[in-house]
Amino acid sequence: MIRIENLTKTYGAIRAVDGLSLEIEAGEIFGLLGPNGAGKTTTIKLLTTLSRPDSGRMTIAGHDVGARSADVKRLIGVVPQEINLDRELSIQENLEVYARLHGVTASQPKIRRTLETVGLWERRDSLVQGLSGGMKRRLLIARAMLPEPEILFLDEPSIGLDPQIRRQMWDIIRQISLEGRTVIITTHYIEEAEALCDRVGIMSHGKLVVVDTPENLKTQVGPYVMEHIDESGKLLQEICADREAANQRAALFNNRVTVRRTNLEDVFINLTGERIE
Amino acid sequence: MNYFAGWYAIFVREMLLFRRKFFKFSYLFSSMVTPLIYLVTFGFGLGRSVSVHGTDYLSFLIPGLVAMSSMNNSYNWVASALNLNRLYHKTFQVFIQAPITSAGIMVGEVLAGMVKGLFASVLVIIVGLVGAPNFHLSALFVLTLLLNCFMFACLGVAVGMLAKTHEDTSTYSNFFITPMAFFSGTFFPLDKMPDLLRYLIYCMPLTHTNILIRKTCFDQQALVSLGVIILLALVFFAWGSRLIRAYNE
Repeated sequence: MIRIENLTKTYGAIRAVDGLSLEIEAGEIFGLLGPNGAGKTTTIKLLTTLSRPDSGRMTIAGHDVGARSADVKRLIGVVPQEINLDRELSIQENLEVYARLHGVTASQPKIRRTLETVGLWERRDSLVQGLSGGMKRRLLIARAMLPEPEILFLDEPSIGLDPQIRRQMWDIIRQISLEGRTVIITTHYIEEAEALCDRVGIMSHGKLVVVDTPENLKTQVGPYVMEHIDESGKLLQEICADREAANQRAALFNNRVTVRRTNLEDVFINLTGERIE
Repeated sequence: MNYFAGWYAIFVREMLLFRRKFFKFSYLFSSMVTPLIYLVTFGFGLGRSVSVHGTDYLSFLIPGLVAMSSMNNSYNWVASALNLNRLYHKTFQVFIQAPITSAGIMVGEVLAGMVKGLFASVLVIIVGLVGAPNFHLSALFVLTLLLNCFMFACLGVAVGMLAKTHEDTSTYSNFFITPMAFFSGTFFPLDKMPDLLRYLIYCMPLTHTNILIRKTCFDQQALVSLGVIILLALVFFAWGSRLIRAYNE
């Protein structure tokens, strides 16, 4: 569905995206995981026509993204990191304008259905400036889904949301995926990537370090981690091949020691030597 | 795809926002009360003892104030809103990602700017019709007003796209728009100005609006000014469209 070949984007001396190549299949939830500044948002901006690459090629369903054609734009929906809604308009007005921009026909029933999906139909006449952060994020998703795009890009969709609202967002994203749409999500939340993504691409300093399913990535690194906090408060971590080996390592310490399953942050640290958050 | 695809969506959005803004005191004050202050100060105050080219000063001043108000409002609201939407609210990015054309975005924004410019001119025109004995509306007056709104709304789009910070839009306004409002024949005729200064003033777009909007017959000077306005409007339109098309984060 999406093919990226040797994509590069620089801002002055900074290589925000550095030779990125990637293929994303139709219908999957693909996550770009990495710390702030890794190049995730720049990659999304390039794929959604906001930025032009310095070099490389991107195609969506066979259409060249660089041409910024209406064919590409009709296929994609974008949920940006910034809440770029019209604050002085109501929920309904925001969606009506968006429907016109995207040429959505018979928009009223679609607006109703989309708002019901994200639980905002009862608030349709409220001005956006009076909504909570979680409501605004849900409205961004509803807006992006209104033209029924085949591919949905979500850039840090749950940033700044409390855990309960974050889980509501995940349910909505899973529901969109179950409708057969391709979802590309950027996140620096480990839990989010593990909870949602079929495959994950780990990014660091503009480069794609590795791509695989979360389970495969964790298995490759090692399934268990022994953690110990020493007298100076420093966290020591050791990845172990199995639970027994992890328990044996833990037995060497008297206190402040735990054994747990590996997560994607361990994978990231193992591959890059850095932390995500 | 239609060359102007999306213009109506952009226009509707701007009108919905304008409807909300309309009832705000700050908007009404800046768009309508400011020209009225000039009107009272210069027209009814100073103007009572002055006549220009054999006519009363108020009848001379009203078309100038209409040109100035329409310029200020068409330009400022477009430049300011577009710049804020692009740099801070990020709502402009929604347009770029929509399956519409850069010309469509341009036309939608420009038409909305024209509405704001015309709206601000209406009150001055009403005062003129009621209070100025030799002021009357003509087809040339209306055509000039529409062209002036179009020209400065196009310039507003270009500046809104170019300015790197919101403060920059104010800087452009202070150095270009405000001096033009005072020096291009709004408040006094240009024929008494020193030659060098007059040539400089003839380079200002609003000067040609002021010439054309006061014409009672379509002479050679009117033809030149009409040509200049149309040419500049087309240049500003192409410039704004090009900047939208070249948008790149």
